[in-house]
Amino acid sequence: MTSMYNFKRITVVPNASELKDVVLSKTQRKTPTVVHRQYSIGRIRAFYARKIKFLQQTLHDKLTQIINEFPKMEEIHPFYSDLMNILYDRDHYKIALGQMNTARHLIDGIAREYVRLMKYADSLYRCKMLKRAALGRMVKLLKRQKSSFEYLEQVRQHLSRLPSIDPSTRTLILCGFPNVGKSSFINNVTRADVEVQPYAFTTKALYVGHLDYRFLRWQVIDTPGILDQPLEDRNTIEMQAVTALAHLKASVLFMMDVSEQCDRTIEEQLHLFESIRPLFANKPVLIGLNKVDIRHRGDLPAEKAALLDQLEKEGIPIVETSTLTQEGVMSLRDRACDELLAQRVEAKIQAKKITNIEDSVLNRVFVAYPAPRDEKVRAPFVPPGLAAKRAAKKLAAENAMDVDDVETVGASAGAVSEFRDENMRRLEREIELAMEDDYILDLKKHYMLKNPDEKYDIVPEIWEGHNLADFVDPEIQQKLESLLKEEELLEQAGEYESDLDSDDEETKEKMALALQIREKEKLLTLEHTVNKRIAGRVGSRVHTRKRERSMSRLEHELGELGVDIDTKKMKNLQGQCAKPQLGKKVCSRRSSISSPPLLQPRPIANERMKVGRARSLSAVRPAPRDELAFPDEEKRAHVDKLRTKAMRGLRREAKKGEADRHVYDLKPKHLFCGKRGNGKTDWR
Amino acid sequence: MALRVDYEGSNDVGVFCTLTNSYCLVGVGGTQNFYSILEAELSDLIPVVHTSINSTRIVGRLTVGNRHGLLVPNATTDQELQHLRNSLPDEVAIRRVDERLSALGNVIACNDHVAIVHAEISAETEQALVEVLKVEVFRVSLAQNSLVGSYCALSSNGCLVAARTPPETQRELAALLQIPVVAGTVNRGSELIGAGMVVNDWVAFCGLDSTSTELSVVESIFKLGEQGAPTSISNQLRDTLIESML
Repeated sequence: MTSMYNFKRITVVPNASELKDVVLSKTQRKTPTVVHRQYSIGRIRAFYARKIKFLQQTLHDKLTQIINEFPKMEEIHPFYSDLMNILYDRDHYKIALGQMNTARHLIDGIAREYVRLMKYADSLYRCKMLKRAALGRMVKLLKRQKSSFEYLEQVRQHLSRLPSIDPSTRTLILCGFPNVGKSSFINNVTRADVEVQPYAFTTKALYVGHLDYRFLRWQVIDTPGILDQPLEDRNTIEMQAVTALAHLKASVLFMMDVSEQCDRTIEEQLHLFESIRPLFANKPVLIGLNKVDIRHRGDLPAEKAALLDQLEKEGIPIVETSTLTQEGVMSLRDRACDELLAQRVEAKIQAKKITNIEDSVLNRVFVAYPAPRDEKVRAPFVPPGLAAKRAAKKLAAENAMDVDDVETVGASAGAVSEFRDENMRRLEREIELAMEDDYILDLKKHYMLKNPDEKYDIVPEIWEGHNLADFVDPEIQQKLESLLKEEELLEQAGEYESDLDSDDEETKEKMALALQIREKEKLLTLEHTVNKRIAGRVGSRVHTRKRERSMSRLEHELGELGVDIDTKKMKNLQGQCAKPQLGKKVCSRRSSISSPPLLQPRPIANERMKVGRARSLSAVRPAPRDELAFPDEEKRAHVDKLRTKAMRGLRREAKKGEADRHVYDLKPKHLFCGKRGNGKTDWR
Repeated sequence: MALRVDYEGSNDVGVFCTLTNSYCLVGVGGTQNFYSILEAELSDLIPVVHTSINSTRIVGRLTVGNRHGLLVPNATTDQELQHLRNSLPDEVAIRRVDERLSALGNVIACNDHVAIVHAEISAETEQALVEVLKVEVFRVSLAQNSLVGSYCALSSNGCLVAARTPPETQRELAALLQIPVVAGTVNRGSELIGAGMVVNDWVAFCGLDSTSTELSVVESIFKLGEQGAPTSISNQLRDTLIESML
């Protein structure tokens, strides 16, 4: 959890000359650069005024950013504000930021003044000089604040390296003389890895480590050693420790060196404890009697032991520890944490005025236990294999503890395969990883069927439009059996023995009637088919048309007119009638026109060779009228030609489209009359 | 033992999984990470079955079951039902119920003995609960939360209900269920207990975001660890809980 005190996000403070270059070049880049003497004076003034304003705005933004990003001493937690006072000097810090603010104001003022002056400039040259002066003055202001910029940059760098201490969380603070084992202790209980050396003031700043205890995250602060001297004489390093002690609501672990190897006697150490005791007010305090591996508390001389005993009587617990052998370290940590936790919980409950259990927090530590309502036992169900599995797991865990270096193997395989061996079933994830893209989830793999061979049987879902599941009947087998049994019983009872075709009178009568009906039906069908055949025979109209020109009619009509028609005279006519039908005739006629006479006679042998079904003939039709009307081909061709010629004009008109060139008016009236001569301008 | 798992990036493992004492259903997902964690933990004791219900993977919210049986909503397809029948042991009865509140997991919470259900559940479903799951059925609502399945998780050892459930309701529930009841959260403060975790009589799976405090409460109330007992919540864990929540 990141605290609200994160000083790592402050942007870099540039030094004065860098900033000057940056803002000037930015002004140059971001404003127009071309201006001419002959421009109107208003435009020239605007051109230069814009440059002045732009530089002012840029500088204003930069300085505002610096001012806003640095923490305000008044607004941050007193611990941090004190720490900053010690490390960077409050006055210096405030003055530096104040100067930034002043510079900002001055720059704004200069810009305003010169923009106003710009109104009175009457030439490009004068405008330019005014701009130069303005930019120069603004930049000069920055240069004057050179030291502040440098100081602020240093402060920023130092701030960003401060440990991120959350002043409001659960904290343990280690304090004591130099070289008593504070850093060793924090290294033991957390993973802070603070430098430990056998000389005083190894630790020159605050260090933070974190530990987990009772499901909570605890912050441990290692402070530099403090000497027993008045507050005024303390140096910066010691003051950091004092600040932490003074402002953090934490559990204080006062570390003491029982072996006196830190060159301080027990008395001196206890004197220090007494002198900084005001800082411990309202905080849980514990004394860690360190280095008991060298000298035990019991081995102390009587007067020193008495001092410690007296302290213990005042209610300050003393825990013997050894950061070397780790003896007592954890118990000291636990006691410190417990005391602080108890105090914090108490304070919180007091502050929130939580008295009734209805509150949302306290009901979460409330467990409702049942009063038995009947005699029924509602025991949990645990599968039989579980106990054995747990035991095996425990064993495996112990083995893993024994062989520490095997740990890395398990870690790489992931948490899943922690307690697994090759006898266990292969996990889907392992299969998936092995098969990569070819992996397909097999849902049927673990089916519990009576016959395992049937696992992968394909069962249709839909069959002939029916959902098979609708017809599934789990009791089908039983039903079938019961049916069969029933059948058997029926058979035994002689149900099927009697003859079924014992006909009585009525049946016979009916049978005869049925036969009659059937025959009648057949007859009707047949009749209908025949009628249909006749009725349905519909030839073409050409076929059915009565032949108008017939021999008999000719004879009759000519006879009426008084012409004697003799059959002998009609030889030719008869011959014509006897000719084959039109289809054949047309063919021969065409060939007579187009082909040379040599090829005309067909070899009769060929026709005779024809086998099988004769080719069908097209319907008999009268010849077209234009053919019928002319006695011979010659005349017809002549008429054809005449007709084509006559139609030529019409056809041309018909073919004309809108894209064809057309002069609508060859002689438009306005061009050929009036005042103008008929000369050159007739086509324009 | 309580484990932290996530289902394809989601903390709501109870949505995608149904865990009982005799089987475990898991929604078919894109990868097998979640399934394999459960498989490694459970498959030597109970079948862990991939399934979909009505082609969705939110099987935890749509089904409800215990050691004796499983109820699935009416929308379950015949194929899914067949798959479940083939995958689960024969002792587990399966029934498709035609319930208007079709997300059965949201409206019913049960262990092997007792079920608490939404007040508006149909009589047929209640009947099915009695016949198939062999439980006593009580219609309750957890204070303002009527979706009992979403806001509580229970096993035969204990019951965890949403944090804002008042103590009277807790007492009532304890009397009905005959197990200790405690209010709490999972997944860093989520009140959707049923959606955020699954539990049976010997193991629990919580979302990946669950804090260690939440896990310790889970282990205590469901008696999952060696040291776990519901009493520890009001004793050892009390300070930690208050400290972490205030």
